[in-house]
Formats: sequence, structure tokens, C-alpha cells
Amino acid sequence: MNRTDVLRHIASLRKGDPTIVSPGLANYPIAEAKDEPLTIYNMDMPYTTPMALGMALGWPGRRVISIEGDGSLLAGPGVLSTVARYQPKNLLIFVFDNGAYLTTGSGKAPTATAFGTDIEKLARGAGLKNTRTVHDLEAAKRAVNAAFAEPGPWLVVAKVDKHDRPVEREAHSLPMYVYEAGLIFRRAALRERSAQRD
Amino acid sequence: MSKLEKAKSSQPAVANTGKVGVRYRQEALESFYEGFKLAGIDFAVFLPDSMLDGVEQLLIERGEIENFQCSREDEGIAMAMGAFLVGKRPVALMEGSGIGMSALILARGIVQKTPTMLIIGHNSSLGERYDYHGATRLVAEPVLRALAIPYHVLFDPADIRNVIVEAQATIEGQRLPFGVLVPSHVIREIGARR
Repeated sequence: MNRTDVLRHIASLRKGDPTIVSPGLANYPIAEAKDEPLTIYNMDMPYTTPMALGMALGWPGRRVISIEGDGSLLAGPGVLSTVARYQPKNLLIFVFDNGAYLTTGSGKAPTATAFGTDIEKLARGAGLKNTRTVHDLEAAKRAVNAAFAEPGPWLVVAKVDKHDRPVEREAHSLPMYVYEAGLIFRRAALRERSAQRD
Repeated sequence: MSKLEKAKSSQPAVANTGKVGVRYRQEALESFYEGFKLAGIDFAVFLPDSMLDGVEQLLIERGEIENFQCSREDEGIAMAMGAFLVGKRPVALMEGSGIGMSALILARGIVQKTPTMLIIGHNSSLGERYDYHGATRLVAEPVLRALAIPYHVLFDPADIRNVIVEAQATIEGQRLPFGVLVPSHVIREIGARR
């Protein structure tokens, strides 16, 4: 299964939902689909889901999406226990597990999932109930659709191949505005929340 | 009752002030709370610690300010920053050692203009009685200095409320995190086991 295909499906359902993307190639298809103001690209490695969790708890009326890699989630798996503790219904965590630190250097260094670590089991052990591990595109689309349709928190692990590395690197450029991202995001969130109150 | 409400309600309803023999200055705890209210703080996240336990239990007990526990301090700071992004005024409370774990997320908050208030138990100099706080004592202020994060070490409990209000003004005006460091004598009774 190709990661880009799944990300494009998520992007098609997203409709401007607040989204944070972990560092690496997953940023490209999200940015390519539509550069939404409520997006934080290239979050430093262990903090994608923690920051998304803060958003979800702070804005319970809005769906919040965390896009993780296996490497980034394994850098800070304790957050799964915090997600399970508070059970935010509006938090969706999608983990793209290719078994490697694919963006880094040669892309050949394996993650622990290549040796048997099971991220879905980690999540279930932490106390999450709505979890899936999917191995092909159709199953991934069904799981993503369920996550968008039913109350969360959700964690979907997509077991993906490594073929998107050269494609994404050559085909696209990333929006490069980490310095402005917090201003853009918060301004858009405040505008939307203010409009909801009116 | 939602699972979120259940998780919150399962926490003790009455403040339990930590170690046997430890007594908090009630007026200091109230000053922190009043400072938070005056500053508009509406989202608190903490990793329990001995020094700030009285404040944390007050947050839980009164329940007016949404409060959450994290599993690591850097995770909690990221949660607070996420809450800031969606319009909240957050505070993250932790022992000084937690700042040592958090240099990267604090740096991210600086470059991304995503601040939070930090209430930090312990400091580099005052009242550190125990050798097991040696590492804790060493990390917080140097990390804040290295990242040019403004901070203030409390000395007089009478300053707590105003420091918090002014810290929040700096956070919003300068879009920077701000650290408020809390030595033992500020929050615990003099003479009590601290």
C-alpha cells in the first residue's frame, strides 16, 4: 500500500480540520491537496499527537487530525496513555508504518516495527478502543471513513511500503512557514470560534 | 457521564497536600489560583510533583479551569501549545526537571509563535535541601536562559498573583513562553518538612 494514496483519501475528507503532520514525506500530499490554514507541518518528532491532543481537548467541537509515522510515534508513545485517559471523541490519529526512518538519510534504518513492535497493540494496551491496522488501500479507506464518521479517539495504523520516498521528494516542494504557522493557525481558529459564537 | 468527565471526577475531590508533614501556604495556593483567573488562564496541564501539588489539587478541586494530567512534561507543554493554537490561554505546571526534558518543544514554540505559561517547582539556588534534587536544580534555569525564554524566580508570596498576570501579558504580547519558578519557601510553610 502506498502512503500517498491513503493521505490523499484523508485529505479529501478533511475539509479544513485542524491537522498536525509529523516530520517527513507525509507532509507533501497533505500540502499538495490543499494548503489549509489550520495545519502545522513538520512538527518536531515526538510532539505531533501531544499537540493535537491539546487542540482536541481545547476545541471539543472540532475534529483534530494527527498524522504520525512509526518513528515519530515511537519517540513518545506515552501520549497514548494520556489520549486513553481523556478519550477525546474528536481526535483521529493516523500512523503510517513503513518500518523505517524513511525520510532520514538513506532511508534504510529500520524502526522497531520492523522487528515486531505493534503500534496498534501499544495503543490498545494504553486503553484506546477504536483502533485498526490495515494492509491494503481498500481496508485503509474503510478505516479512515469509520474514523471520520464515528466518535473517537481513533488510531489507525496503515502498513505502507517505502516507494513514495523518491516520488515525493522529486515532485513537490513543502510549504516552508514554520515561523508563521502558529500565527496563521491561531488567527484562523479564533476567527472560526468567534463566528461560531455569533 | 462521558469518559472525559469520568476521568476528571475520579481524581480526588479534596486537596491532598502530598508528603506527610508537608504544609502548603494556603495564601500562596490561593494567590496562584487568583493569578490564573485574573490572567484568563483556562487550560492547565501538569505532571504531578511535590512542590506544586497544592496548586494542582486546587485546580482539580475547583474545576473552573480545565485541567489535565500528562505522562511527561514535554508532552504536557506540547498539549498546552496545542490548546493555545485553538484559542486557549494555557499553563503547564511541572518540576524543574521537566524543563530539562523540554528544550526541543520549547524551541518549537518559540519559532512557531506558540507560547504557554510555565509554572516550575524548584530553582537553581534557594531552598534545595536534598541531594536527589541536584539534577533538577541544574536544568531548568539554564534551559530557559539558553533559549532566551523570559522567567522570574518568585521570592515573596505576595508577588505571586501579579507575576502571573504580568507573565501572561508578556506571553501574549511577545508570543514567548514565560517561566515562573517556585522555590520551596514561597509555597510551603517555613519550618514544615519541605
